Amino acid sequence: MADAKRFPRGQAAIAGIGCTEFSRDSGVGVFTLAARAVKAAVADAGLELSDVDGFATFGPNDSISPNMLAQALGVTSMSYYVDQWLGGSVSMSIMGQAALAVSAGVADCVVCYRALNGRSEIRMNGSGAARMKLPWDMPFKMAGGVMAPSQEIALAARAHMVRYGTTSEDLGRIAVLSRANALDNERAMMRKPMTLDDYLDSRWIVDPFRMFDCCLETDGAVAVVVVNAERAKGLPHRPVLIQGAAWGGGVNVVNNGYTDLSESPAKLIAPRLYDAAGLGPEDIDFAELYDCFTYNVLSQIEGYRFAEPGGVPGMLADAAFDRATGKLPINTHGGLLSEGYLHGMNHVYEAAQQIRGDAGNRQVERHDVALVTGQLGYVSGYSSAVVLVGA
Amino acid sequence: MVDVAERRAVPVPDRDSAPYWGALARGRFELQHCRDCGRWTWPARAICSGCHGENLAWEPVKGTGEVHSWVVTHQVYAPDFVDLVPYTVVLVRIDEQDDILIPGRLVSDGEVHQGLRVRAAPEQITDEIGQLHWTADA
Repeated sequence: MADAKRFPRGQAAIAGIGCTEFSRDSGVGVFTLAARAVKAAVADAGLELSDVDGFATFGPNDSISPNMLAQALGVTSMSYYVDQWLGGSVSMSIMGQAALAVSAGVADCVVCYRALNGRSEIRMNGSGAARMKLPWDMPFKMAGGVMAPSQEIALAARAHMVRYGTTSEDLGRIAVLSRANALDNERAMMRKPMTLDDYLDSRWIVDPFRMFDCCLETDGAVAVVVVNAERAKGLPHRPVLIQGAAWGGGVNVVNNGYTDLSESPAKLIAPRLYDAAGLGPEDIDFAELYDCFTYNVLSQIEGYRFAEPGGVPGMLADAAFDRATGKLPINTHGGLLSEGYLHGMNHVYEAAQQIRGDAGNRQVERHDVALVTGQLGYVSGYSSAVVLVGA
Repeated sequence: MVDVAERRAVPVPDRDSAPYWGALARGRFELQHCRDCGRWTWPARAICSGCHGENLAWEPVKGTGEVHSWVVTHQVYAPDFVDLVPYTVVLVRIDEQDDILIPGRLVSDGEVHQGLRVRAAPEQITDEIGQLHWTADA
């Protein structure tokens, strides 16, 4: 019988990380972005492109696939690949896939990457939708005027507000926290300070979401190199073990589980993730939570059991998630909200940098165990997350 | 007004969903009803949401329900909505079955709240395609 505890706990490790500049217009194609990030990650790992024998990526038909990239980079012995359709909800699944592949020994070195021209070419907000392969259920939403993820997540946020009294200010504190963390991050797109008043003054996108509830649209790429944990020990950086991973079901309109949007869909995957990792929420030092919108952060703090339902606003007011002094620093780089929308792979980059102790001014005090999540499970019906641990 | 040819949000019927969009075009709100287990299924598909059988029939529903959640969309996400923003989208739990929540534009005026009673208001787009709006049930 299947058991999440059988995940090859800590047997694979992130040995290298790489990224491009994050911008509003990269000026190059996604092929080039992906190649740059992969080359940077492989070099960071102290390896050669000829050592790579696997690739894992994801995207809603807006990127470059492993077969093209492999041959362009001279990787002639590709023995493993994943080209997962869809976006943030599946982002951490490729980390889990890579861990399975290298621990099983069917591949030695899998590079996980995400490359997109998310601002200058194919935008996620519906205006680029005509060029994407649409999920099966989208026509049923579009006919009702629902074109973009912002609207669906805002529906969930509203339900939470109705049930728990969550306010705009509560969501705003998440935006402000993210911005504060981005100020000293050289990769971040948004480095101008933001106050709660700035947040409240920003224009409506989808009430209850204002502009600063929404993540950025970004051109760029991130790649990370995954190898066997034993091999990682002999490479330059502190190995970042993939302690546990879980990917699978969330909630969408088809599965008849879509009955109360105020509940966090992250609670569906959290038990399997913690079982896979052999750890619980009390063991997590810091978390990089998928934040395409502010509300996702709040809902995941509940769903991954750092707070009781309705308990996050009080913790935000008590600075529980602040990078310097909080008991659970979150989105230490500014997240998708203020660093850039690399569809969650920039969360992995940041977590690895923190675990290595290489995060400079952003370095959190306790940095051995990180939770990194994909989109929490609404909209597509998928969710994914990993726990990373410093060796 | 936006020409139909330029519209992005027009549903593309497939073999399973064509009856749904077609009924809406004729002003009717119909869902698939299972002849075996009695459950309703939405979005349209050939598999019952309850027993997973294929013995489904298209039948009218009452067309009433209540608002579970709502948002007011200010951003223009497609040319279709240029003249409509800001518009309210409601997510409606239909009276027949509590696990079917269908989004749609609220086309009536007045304040929205959770629990607001609403009624289906189909709108024809083409001969074969309609879309579902909701209106407050006075």
